[in-house]
Order: sequence, then structure tokens, then C-alpha cells
Amino acid sequence: MRLLEVKNLKKIYTTRFGGNQVQALSNVSFSVEQGEYVAIMGESGSGKTTLLNILASLDKPTSGEVFLDGKNIVTIKDSEISAFRRDNLGFVFQDFNLLDTFSIQDNIFLPLVLAQKNYQEMNSRLQSLSGRLEIEEILQKFPYEVSGGQKQRAAVARALITKPKLVLADEPTGALDSKAAMNLLKIFAAINHLGQTILMVTHSVAAASHANRVLFIKDGEIYNQIYRGSMSNDDMYQKISFTLSVLASGGEDLE
Amino acid sequence: MNKFFYPKLALVNLKKNGNTYIPYILTCIGSIMAFYTMVSIHSNKGLDQMPGSINLKMILFLGIIVIGIFAVIFLFYTNSFLIKRRKKELGLYSILGLEKKHIARVLFYETIFVTVISLSLGLIGGILIGKLLFLLLLNVVHFKSPLSFHIDYWGLLITTGVFLAIFGLTLLTNFLQVKLSNPIDLLKGGQHGEKEPKSSWIVTLIGIVSLGTGYGIALSVETPLEALLLFFVAVVFVIIGTYALFISGSITLLKQLKKNKKFYYQSRNFISVSGMIYRMKQNAVGLANICILSTMVLVTLSTTVSLYIGQEGMRRDFYPLDVSIVGEAANTDFAAVKAIVESEKDKLKVRSNNEISFDLAHFRAFQESNHFLKDMVADESTDAMYYERISNITLIPLDDYNRLTSGSKSLAENEVLIFSVGDNYGEPTIVFGDEQYLITEQLESIPMDFKKTQDMGHTYYLIVKDAGVMDGIYQTMRNDDDPVTTLHALMFNLDGDEDTLNTFSANMRAAVLQNNPDINIQNLYEALTELYFFFGGFLFLGVFLGSLFMMATVLIIYFKQISEGYEDSERFEIMQKVGMDKTEVKKTIGKQILMVFFLPLAGAIVHVAFAFPVITKMLAAFRLTNITLIFLCTLVGVVVYALVYTGVYLLTARSYYKMIH
Repeated sequence: MRLLEVKNLKKIYTTRFGGNQVQALSNVSFSVEQGEYVAIMGESGSGKTTLLNILASLDKPTSGEVFLDGKNIVTIKDSEISAFRRDNLGFVFQDFNLLDTFSIQDNIFLPLVLAQKNYQEMNSRLQSLSGRLEIEEILQKFPYEVSGGQKQRAAVARALITKPKLVLADEPTGALDSKAAMNLLKIFAAINHLGQTILMVTHSVAAASHANRVLFIKDGEIYNQIYRGSMSNDDMYQKISFTLSVLASGGEDLE
Repeated sequence: MNKFFYPKLALVNLKKNGNTYIPYILTCIGSIMAFYTMVSIHSNKGLDQMPGSINLKMILFLGIIVIGIFAVIFLFYTNSFLIKRRKKELGLYSILGLEKKHIARVLFYETIFVTVISLSLGLIGGILIGKLLFLLLLNVVHFKSPLSFHIDYWGLLITTGVFLAIFGLTLLTNFLQVKLSNPIDLLKGGQHGEKEPKSSWIVTLIGIVSLGTGYGIALSVETPLEALLLFFVAVVFVIIGTYALFISGSITLLKQLKKNKKFYYQSRNFISVSGMIYRMKQNAVGLANICILSTMVLVTLSTTVSLYIGQEGMRRDFYPLDVSIVGEAANTDFAAVKAIVESEKDKLKVRSNNEISFDLAHFRAFQESNHFLKDMVADESTDAMYYERISNITLIPLDDYNRLTSGSKSLAENEVLIFSVGDNYGEPTIVFGDEQYLITEQLESIPMDFKKTQDMGHTYYLIVKDAGVMDGIYQTMRNDDDPVTTLHALMFNLDGDEDTLNTFSANMRAAVLQNNPDINIQNLYEALTELYFFFGGFLFLGVFLGSLFMMATVLIIYFKQISEGYEDSERFEIMQKVGMDKTEVKKTIGKQILMVFFLPLAGAIVHVAFAFPVITKMLAAFRLTNITLIFLCTLVGVVVYALVYTGVYLLTARSYYKMIH
């Protein structure tokens, strides 16, 4: 079943006084199946972040359509967009984006509180997550009291607790050391295994090598994609590295 | 390196941080102007020549001290705020290769610039405004002869000295800050993890108890004397209570709310409660400051304005009749005195009315229910109760009373009539020494005085059978320094324009005293000048300090808004990413800010409401008993202040919203 479908997405940024136009996305189309784990790779300035912002409904495309579970998110009214985001999408950011005024537990509860769930419900959902994410110990602590890896796991818990259709991750390992990064990637793989659809934007070959499929984006267009098939993580790593080097050298002859 | 490098860098820094440094420099200029103005008015030579200037000078000196202390506290407070904001910038310099001594040099030059700008503008402003304010002061004290106002070099010197010292000290604390920190700390500056505030039940309890005590004292005060003695005790309790409750009480309360899971995990409360905990932690002291300052502004303004407006009524309380001339009956030729008065009256064509003359004896006594004892000397146990029991007693023979009232009352040897200025005398008898007198009537009025709503001490007039009885009681009760014999009084009211009456009063005094040096003359018109000086001085100081405190409040609010804005902009973004509406976020944050800023105003208004009974009692000590007037002055003060406060809030809120967008 198709969960996400992106059709002919185009985004042009115009500078404030209408002078220069920058084309961030020229023509992007792809789709994500239910239960997939997709990584999007590309260099700085390739349009990754713009794409993610549009998927997250934080930004509107100049033209094109995005369907999530059959609903076109481009045409959702502004007044409904926050609720839509809250109910359907989970976010994991590079810099965690935890509020320092809340304990870890309250940070995780935040989206549910906004959705006006009752406390028992919130608590039972947290119980089932906290074990898997190894955050039981730190629930009562505050963000500044825990390590980066722990913060990111808390952020993952916050993303998952709403049972979103799609988790969007923006460079989730970017601010972590290699050990914490590896740990987080294992967690991503595990939750994907349980059926969670994940779309991750990343620079890191290691991070991307955990995904089922890797999309490469260059100059605002999908340039290439790799399916895992039966490859191991290491094989995946090799193949991604190769593709990236071809991409960087401007190679035309791939596939 | 170019030798102008550091001064240039310092100048650039000040410009870049303009949105915080310009208000800071304005505060400095304001404080310097205020200080210089007070000093120069206080030391103005012309003031010495005015009658009653001693009281005025004392009030002004008090003003200098208050402004000085205020300037020190306030400039330190703002400076520490500024340097906190700039830690990141200073950290960046040290990463870019400036050593600590170089940073210190930059800070030094910045202070120099700030000092030079504020001192020069402040002093110039002080000289200009000082002249204006001096004219205003002369106007409120009703002093007509034009006095010159020069530049006061001594005042300039003192002001420069005081403020150089303050600026020097702030620079030193800044040096210390830089010296004690390393670049990483500086870079991270304000943002090293906000610890969750600890709340202490003990502090909260102390707060509740002392606020309760303060309010309790305020409400239980019954007499003007108690009010004067206990007012400052109550103020201290209320200040302690305010700080404790703002700092700890607020957080204890919020944490209790947080513990209530059903309440806390509601989308509306969730963000407000946890947001408020942090806001209160960072702002508690500042908000308590605003609360106390606002209360001070309100109390100062309402009392001084009431006193000034109400002095017409008060002077009547002091002087039931315009002029009273009292001398020892045996040694004074009252016919001659009267002749002198008449001839002075003729000279200026002044008319008099209500003229009365009578014999009397006057003494102070110490009251214990119906027993009156000789006045006791106050010892170390001079508590409020001691003053409560002092009474002023005037004895008048029945003949004189009957003559003045055209009545025909009669009394036996041991019978008296009583008139009490305050509450009625409650006992059926009155005892002097061994003699007991039966009270046959409580009089409702008397020619030489009238009923007053507030009577400082107890004032009684007793009508006794004759001069013999009067002298008997007087000799029993009189103190060693009282006159030996009984007295005679001549009292009358005056008619005419104020200037003529002033001249008449001075002439009459001189003429009467020439022949009768021991005679006592009390004159409303002479006293007026003094009263104007006293209350006019108070009003002047009240308005002056009121505006100064107001300036401080405005500035604290402004700085608070800015620092809130910096921090909220981050939070604002995260909340949106997690799925909160833009308008929702704006509403929640707006509500919190509103609560934070109007809490002190609400606190101040509650304080003033509780202080009101004490204020009325205290003003009664100055014979201001018109409670409606005091209430109106207070109400107008509160309304005007609330409007100004709201205006300032709205203005600063604009810069806040700019920051979070």
C-alpha cells in the first residue's frame, strides 16, 4: 500500500524584493510504501531540507502534490495543519528540539497533551515505548541533565508516541557521537521492523546504509535510488559510497 | 596595533547593543539629573532665608539619601543584566584571540564612554531641569519672592564624585565576571541548562507569615500614634513577605499544580504551568522589585498629594480660632494686650470676629480609666500604650463658660461638665489626686474648640465650679515646669486678605511681645507659611521620588521583556515543530507574559489596599482626617499608575513580539 506519494514537486524561492529566484526543487516525484524505511541523501544545497519541510507541511511547494495516505497535504487549510501534523507525522531533529522547561517525560507527552489525551492513555503508551528506547531511567530528568544520545532517544519517543503514519527524521545522527549514532540507527531499524514507516534525510553514509532504500537528490531532482534487496548493511555502505562518489564527480553514465 | 583600536571597538559595541545600552544610559542620565537637582536645591543659599526652611531642608536631605541609595542599587541591577546578555559576545572575542586583559580594556573604554555621556548630559539636564523644579518647589510652598538659582559647583562636584564611584564599582564587578570565567563558559553565556527551581516550603511559610503579620498590623492599628510607630514595622514585614512569596511561594504553588496530573496534563495548563515555573524563577526578584517600587510610588504619591490638598482642613484642626493669646492671669495686663491688638488692627484695617476671653488652667496628665495622674516621664518602655494614655486637660471656670455660651448652668463643688475632642469620655466620674468629681454632663460643643474625628492623645475640657476649684485641681496636677498660676486666654478670628493678615500677624506679635515677653501667641497665618513649607516640601519630594521610581519600573519592565523575548523565540519554534498552532503558541506565551507583568501591579494594589487604614491613621496624626479625600487621592493615584503601567507594557510588548518573529 502506498503511504506517501510525491508528484512533480517544485519549489522556487524568491528573494524578498523579487530579485533573484533560486530553484530548490525542480521536479521531484517518488513514493513510499507502508512500512518502508527510506533515506534521502544529497549534498548541502541539493534541496533535501526543502523537500523535508514540504513533507512536514512546514512549507508549501510552488507546484506539485504530496499525498499522505491519500490526502493531499498541500491543500490542507492553515487552521488544520497543526492538528494534521500532530496526528499523522512524527519528527526527529538533528538538534533534538526538546524544551528545557519540561522533564523528559513531559517532553514526550507534549504532543499527546496538545491532542488532549488523558493521562492514563499517555502513561500506558509511554510504558510500552520507554523500555524499547532505554529511557526509563531518565524520564524524570531534564534535557540539560542527560547525554545527547539520551536526548535523541527521548525525541524519538516523542515522535512515536502519537503513533504517526510517518516518522520524518532530519539528520538524526548529526549531533551524536558514533556509538550513540549506531545505537539510534539500531532503534530506527527495530521500530521499522515493527511496521513503522520512516523517511530520513541524512548526510551520513552509515546512517543511510541502515535504510531499505536510498534516494539520491541532486540539484533539486531525484538522481538515483538504491534498493537494499538482500544486501547486508556493509554491502549497502559500499554501494552508497560508490554512488556518492559518482554523484560528486558529476558522472552521467550511472545505470 | 592602532592605539585607537580599543576605544573604537568599545564604541562599536555600545552601538551594536543599542537596544539595551541606550535605556541604560538614559537611566544613568535620569539618576544623575535627579541626584544633582536634589543636591543643588538643598544647598541653595536662598532657601536658608525662608522661614520654616529647616523642615524643608531636612526633607530634601532625606531625598538625596534615598536617590543615592536607589541609584547604586538600580545601576548595579541594570549593569548585571547587560553583562549577562553580552557574555556570548565577550566569549567570542576571547576565542578570536583577545586576552582577558584586552577584554578588560574594551570594557574599560565602554564604561568611560557611558560615564562621560551620562555625566555630561545628566549634569546639563540637571542644571536646566533643576531651575524648573526649583521654581516649582517655590510655587508649591507658596513662597513668592523670586530667588536666584545658580549653577551649584559644589553640587556638580558631589554628583560627579558619587557617580564616578558607582560606575567604577560596576566596572570592577564586570572585570571580576570576565576574570572568573573561561571562554567556553562565556560563549555558552546564559544558556547553560536552566535548572529546575527548588521551592522551599519554609521560605513560602515565612512569606505567608510575614505578609500576614504586616497586613495584620496594618488592619489592627487603631490610633494615629500606633500607626506612626508601627507603620515601618509593617512595611518591613510586607517587603519580606513580598520577596519570599514571589521567589518561593509562586514556585511552590505552581509545583503543587504540576503534581495534580489531571489538571497539569491539559493542553492549556501544561505549557502555562511549566512555562510559568521558569519565568518565575528567572524573574521573581525583578518582579518583587517592581511590586515594592510600585507600592512605594502609590503610597508616596497618595499620601503627599492628600496632605497637600488637605492642609486647608488640617490647619483648622490645629487652630480652632485664628489667633490665641495666652498668658499667666496674675502677671499679665490683658486690658493692655487687648488695646495693643486693637491698635494694630486699626492700622491695617483688619477686622476680627468671634472674640472670646476666659480664664483657664492647662496641664498634661496620665490617664488610667477615670484616674488622672501627674504626667510621667517617658522611660525606655515608651511603647504605644504610653503615648496612648497621655491626655491634655484644660480647666475653665463655670462663670466664663456661662458668659461665653449665654447659658445658666450650675455646678456643685465636686461636679464638672466635660467636653472631649475625640471619643466621648466614658466614665461617670473623674479623679484628680484624692478628689473625685462627678460628671453631670457630656458637652457636645464648646466655644474654644470642636469635635474631631481623630484626636491625637485625649483632649478634654472640664468646666468646674469656680476659680478656686480650678486652682485647686491645677496645683495638685501641675508639673514642675508648668506656670505657677492659672492662665487667661484671648482668642479671635481674622478677616481680610492673606497678605494683609500676614503683615498684621507679624506686627501684632512684635507689639505684644514688647511689653509681655512671656506671653504665648499662636497664629494660624504664621503657621500657614510653615505648613506650606512642610507639606509642599513633602509633595515635591513625593512627586520627585514617585517619578524616579516610575522610571525604574519602566526600565525593569523593558529589560525583562527583552530578555524574555530572546529566550522565548527558541521555545516558540520548537512548539510549532511539535504540532502547535502559531496562534495557539502566541496566545499561550502572550498570556504568560501578561501574568508575569501584571502580577506585580496586582500585588502593589493589594498592598496599598491593606496599607490604606494605616495611611489614614497616620495622616490623622497630621490632622488630616478627611478619609474621602485620602481615598480619592489614592484611587486616582492607582488608576493613573495602572494606566501608565499598561502603556509601558504595551510599548515594550511590541519589541518583545518583534523578537519572537
